Amino acid sequence: MKRKKDLVAPYFYLIPSMLVFAVFLFYPFVKTIYLSLFKTNKLGQAKIFVGLGNYAELLSSASFRNSLKVTLIFVVIVVIGGMLLGLVTAVLCNKAFPGIRFFSTAYALPMAIASSSAAMIFQIMLHPAVGIVNKLLGLDINWLNDPKTALYCVAILTAWLNSGINFLYFSAGLGNIDESLYERASVDGATGVQKFFSLTLPGLSPIMFYTLVVNIIQAFQSFGQIKILTEGGPSETTNVIVYSIYRDAFFNYRFGSASAQSVILFIIIMLITLVMFRIEKKGVKY
Amino acid sequence: MKKRIVAALLAATMTMGLLSGCGGKTTAEASGASDESTAVTSDAAMAEASEVDGTEITFWHSMGGVNGEAIDTLVKKFNDENELGITVNAQYQGEYDDSLNKLKSAQIGNMGADLVQVYEIGTSFMKNSGWIVPMQTLIDGDSYDVSQIEPNLSAYYTVDGQLCSMPFNSSTPIMYYNKDMFDAAGITEVPDSLEAIGQVGDKLLGAGAGEVMSLGIYGWFFEQFISKQGLEYANNGNGRDEAATAVAFDENGAAANILTAWKDLSDKGYAPNVGRGGDAGLADFSAGKSAITLGSTASLKQILQDVNGKFEVGTAYFPKIASSDVGGVSIGGASLWALDNQDPKKLRATWEFVKFLISPESQAYWNAQTGYFPVTVAAQDEAVFKENIAKYPQFETAIDQLHDSKPEYAGALLSIFPEARATVETEIESMLNGKQDVDTAVGNMATSINKSIEEYNLVNE
Repeated sequence: MKRKKDLVAPYFYLIPSMLVFAVFLFYPFVKTIYLSLFKTNKLGQAKIFVGLGNYAELLSSASFRNSLKVTLIFVVIVVIGGMLLGLVTAVLCNKAFPGIRFFSTAYALPMAIASSSAAMIFQIMLHPAVGIVNKLLGLDINWLNDPKTALYCVAILTAWLNSGINFLYFSAGLGNIDESLYERASVDGATGVQKFFSLTLPGLSPIMFYTLVVNIIQAFQSFGQIKILTEGGPSETTNVIVYSIYRDAFFNYRFGSASAQSVILFIIIMLITLVMFRIEKKGVKY
Repeated sequence: MKKRIVAALLAATMTMGLLSGCGGKTTAEASGASDESTAVTSDAAMAEASEVDGTEITFWHSMGGVNGEAIDTLVKKFNDENELGITVNAQYQGEYDDSLNKLKSAQIGNMGADLVQVYEIGTSFMKNSGWIVPMQTLIDGDSYDVSQIEPNLSAYYTVDGQLCSMPFNSSTPIMYYNKDMFDAAGITEVPDSLEAIGQVGDKLLGAGAGEVMSLGIYGWFFEQFISKQGLEYANNGNGRDEAATAVAFDENGAAANILTAWKDLSDKGYAPNVGRGGDAGLADFSAGKSAITLGSTASLKQILQDVNGKFEVGTAYFPKIASSDVGGVSIGGASLWALDNQDPKKLRATWEFVKFLISPESQAYWNAQTGYFPVTVAAQDEAVFKENIAKYPQFETAIDQLHDSKPEYAGALLSIFPEARATVETEIESMLNGKQDVDTAVGNMATSINKSIEEYNLVNE
């Protein structure tokens, strides 16, 4: 009798969180899949069943394929840039020196800046006529309106924004590495570079893995800075999937197509995440 | 194995968060929404003015910054001074797009507002939404004299002889030019078309202009260039006789004319790509780099403030394509829509508030604070208006231009206007970046917009 109770009771404890998940995750999730099979009217109500029509239309549209490509480039730059910046700054701040408080605050600061406000500041800085970037470099480049540079500008801004939280993660990770390991390595005559690659990096691998997963997801979700800086332009060179979803849903009122894009994005991130959990087993040493 | 399942679940939950960000808002359920195919409703009854004591109404607007403060002042004045006991609760609902989206969500459950400000390109959507009481019904119910309203403003919002909504903040685009540069270049006659601008381009560059014209890629300008040629944007009488089923600018040559002239200016280095949006060209102009820019009349104050006396700012009519074109400008901005809340008292209170907003006194104040047109002709007799025009004589150009236009150039009504505008901008941008020629750009615009119109008409029958 008692054992049976033990089997049932735990599920009751799960109910509150499941309820929250149901309302905010499962229901919208199912609804999104449902809507992606329909053409919707201007209120977002399913009107005409088209099956996989929305998906077929998307995959054959040059604009969506461009979005996929742009998103991929964007994510790669943001993840690599953001993590490198976070790692370098964290390693630099790992030693005590005068003014460390100032530097660590400065490096962690992007974490506290909302992407939209940062974007507005960058918009002024990158302005071709009055912006400080062109003035300092003595150039005349229309950064945000040139198809060649726009994506990089937005990606680098995002990388910098993400570097703040990465700095924090890596700093915590560095603190967890046993000091005595370094002492012993010094006794053995290891150089700073050797210590970094043989001790610091392996020691950081668990946190590195977590940071990587979070960074990739975050990069896919970047929105505010793109909306403010380029609105997907010029010539759709910064039209990442999330922005394209927003345009279709809340601007063009095509919730069906927007839902289909969301599902495709979900599948992509799902696959990437699964692959990474695979790799985790091989590469991460706890 | 177990770990793999856990990993998969974890991954799924993490990524699902992505979807819910969007999905959460798409949960528009059919329940309770009125049938959108029912056109303009006009059976709404309005209570007598004496019955509305204690009525509270909600007004949704999209005016931030200085304009928002002006709205708040007007609302406060109405609340303090109206003798009918009406209280207006004004709420800023974000930009026009945001506000319209919120309205959609609100309409599905309970009505959020009694009066809402909607941008001009949302006119077609609102008209067919089935949520509204046409302004004409209120005007007729109160036997209000509408002859005081600027005819070229009300023309835009008039469909089938009915005024659907009350024009409130209306603007037109005008051409701003740097008088000092024009003097230095020895140009006495201000160009009236893109063609004429091209002819004085070298003179201006020779006189030290960094660029001849900072022309932002803006769908509204494209629409204005069509009106200035006296041609139509969409079929079925610009979407005014009947809902448009396709664009007309490809077949009547309007778009090709615009893009050819635009590209010509760009190729000669007169009008470099300064980016998208109505404000994109303003900074270059205010900084003294470009000699000419196009902008809304509502930008006048901002421009004068930014220029800050560095040079003299001249204003002229929005340019035509070729100097021989005959046409006019249409308006932009927003209008006020009364929502059908099945409450005669609220409707009456809404109407009283609208009457207050378009009174000459309010409009003169509104114009002076914001640079939008006074909706009421009589506002031009108010002292506030006269002071303002003495201070900013450039505004006279805007008033003259509006009066010189005709209701027939009021511009198109299109259900998918926001999307069409974005499409036009993207295609122009690609053309200026050398990715495609004029004909391809026009063809792409037409194909893409027609497809969207077709799909919209199909699902929203």
